[in-house]
Amino acid sequence: MSIPAKLNDVLHEMPGIKVRMMNERRVRVDLSPDTLPALLEILKGRLGYCHLSAISCVDWVQTDQFELVYHVWSHMLKTMVSAHIFISRQPGQFISVYDIHAPAGFFERDIHEMFGVHFEGAPNLNKFILTSWGGPPPMLKSFNTREYVEKTFDWVQYSPDWLKDIEAKGGGID
Amino acid sequence: MRPENYRPVKHPPSHEYELYFGPNHPGIEGNYAIRVRLKGDVIIEAIADGGYLHRGFEKIMEERLWIQNVALVPRICVPDPVPMEETYSRAVEMIGGLEVPVRAQWIRVMLLEMSRICAHLFTFGGNAATIGLYTNMFWGVTMRDYFLDLFEEVTGARIYHMFITPGGVRRDLPEGFLGRLGNLLDELERRMPEFEDLFFESAVVINRASGIGIISQEQALSWGVTGPNLRACDLPIDLRRDDPYLVYPELEFDVVTVEGGDALARMMARRGEVIQSIRILRQIIARLPSIGGAIRSPLPNPLAWNLPVGEAYARTESSKGETAFYIVSDGGPRPYRVHVRGPSSMHAVQVLEKLLIGARIEDIAQIMFSLDACPPEVDR
Repeated sequence: MSIPAKLNDVLHEMPGIKVRMMNERRVRVDLSPDTLPALLEILKGRLGYCHLSAISCVDWVQTDQFELVYHVWSHMLKTMVSAHIFISRQPGQFISVYDIHAPAGFFERDIHEMFGVHFEGAPNLNKFILTSWGGPPPMLKSFNTREYVEKTFDWVQYSPDWLKDIEAKGGGID
Repeated sequence: MRPENYRPVKHPPSHEYELYFGPNHPGIEGNYAIRVRLKGDVIIEAIADGGYLHRGFEKIMEERLWIQNVALVPRICVPDPVPMEETYSRAVEMIGGLEVPVRAQWIRVMLLEMSRICAHLFTFGGNAATIGLYTNMFWGVTMRDYFLDLFEEVTGARIYHMFITPGGVRRDLPEGFLGRLGNLLDELERRMPEFEDLFFESAVVINRASGIGIISQEQALSWGVTGPNLRACDLPIDLRRDDPYLVYPELEFDVVTVEGGDALARMMARRGEVIQSIRILRQIIARLPSIGGAIRSPLPNPLAWNLPVGEAYARTESSKGETAFYIVSDGGPRPYRVHVRGPSSMHAVQVLEKLLIGARIEDIAQIMFSLDACPPEVDR
């Protein structure tokens, strides 16, 4: 299991990059956020990494960072590169790579909606799924779904007529 | 003379108007909507509007045990649930270092291809209904139902099987199952000419689907198009070949490509894939009886199972395109993060918005169905 030579050469041109082979067709690279756009440009231009499979976001509360993972696939080398960067949670801002990979438009919009990360230069960061949601970005680890439900819905007062009928007959939720 | 604070009121030109298409509309797939701006009956702007099926799967999965999530994942895509189970399980296996026994891998491929046929039959039916060919819809749904009978026999469920679990599959095939699958494939092959007559060679379909929603090869690659939609642009890209998993390298099948890139080409690509899935299933029927061994690798107590710290990205070629799961483990009994990448997140949003510009109002449903987008998978 080794990294394709052409890919290895390109990756080692990037300053401060750490490269790890995860399996026979996936390479993990860790690099600084400043270097990421250049890496994506070079991979696309020189090695055919033209398919942005996804951008994943992970909220690391303990280190107060967001991890952004850019998964790009080369139809030429048949290898995936997952480029990992860490950005500060405050203010949670990074630049858009839409001009390099158009599918980034959807992923950045999704991450903005779910984690609150702002992507400078993204074509559209309007809400898509939670259009009537006024709370914090819900995928943040600090957002506790159970706590929100307990606070928002008063289960004790939940007593519709159909439930009263059942209770009158000796049944019920409890 | 006009006063200083005079501001002319900007009205849109009187011949432009806005139409809200969906979320409950016979011409839309699932609960999904598109806001279109029209000039006459020609679309000049389209904005996809999702969220009607958002159930917060990614958030819920962080609260559930690794094994409990097997019950959640098939619900992400109703028409094609098996790739969700397979991709989630494979990502968990990568993190946990689990080997899937060979027999289980063959059973998984069998279920994946059965699910692909079901999804394509469903799409043929839905697509036909958007142009008034309801008989084809009933036929497609009926044939799919026969496959669902077989799913029920193997897994105990028709849609949400929860059968593929990390490490293998839940149980072995029932006695005589492969024979019954073979009989159903015979029946499907017998009926394919009827589908040809009624749908693929129908003048109505050809006239309505030709030349609409055209995607060029360059656009397909830059917009993130995958699956049959990409292969309908004559691009032979298929994860089963290019990034193979399970026992696909041992199976013979053609990567179906079609020229044209329009709605008709996308339907023809799916038609070709049904034939190839039948071919794959025939090979499985022939070879599976001679492949013995376990159907799952031993797992620790799944209710107290901590996976090591790590991350994995698994991908599957589903009926709709590239389905992927990115999973992160912090060493605990639950995932720290699960990111679901469905193919429809591209096809139903950015691609659809672009394809609709310049199309006519009656083609909206046809274009959307030809992309075979799955709204619950977009919303997650």
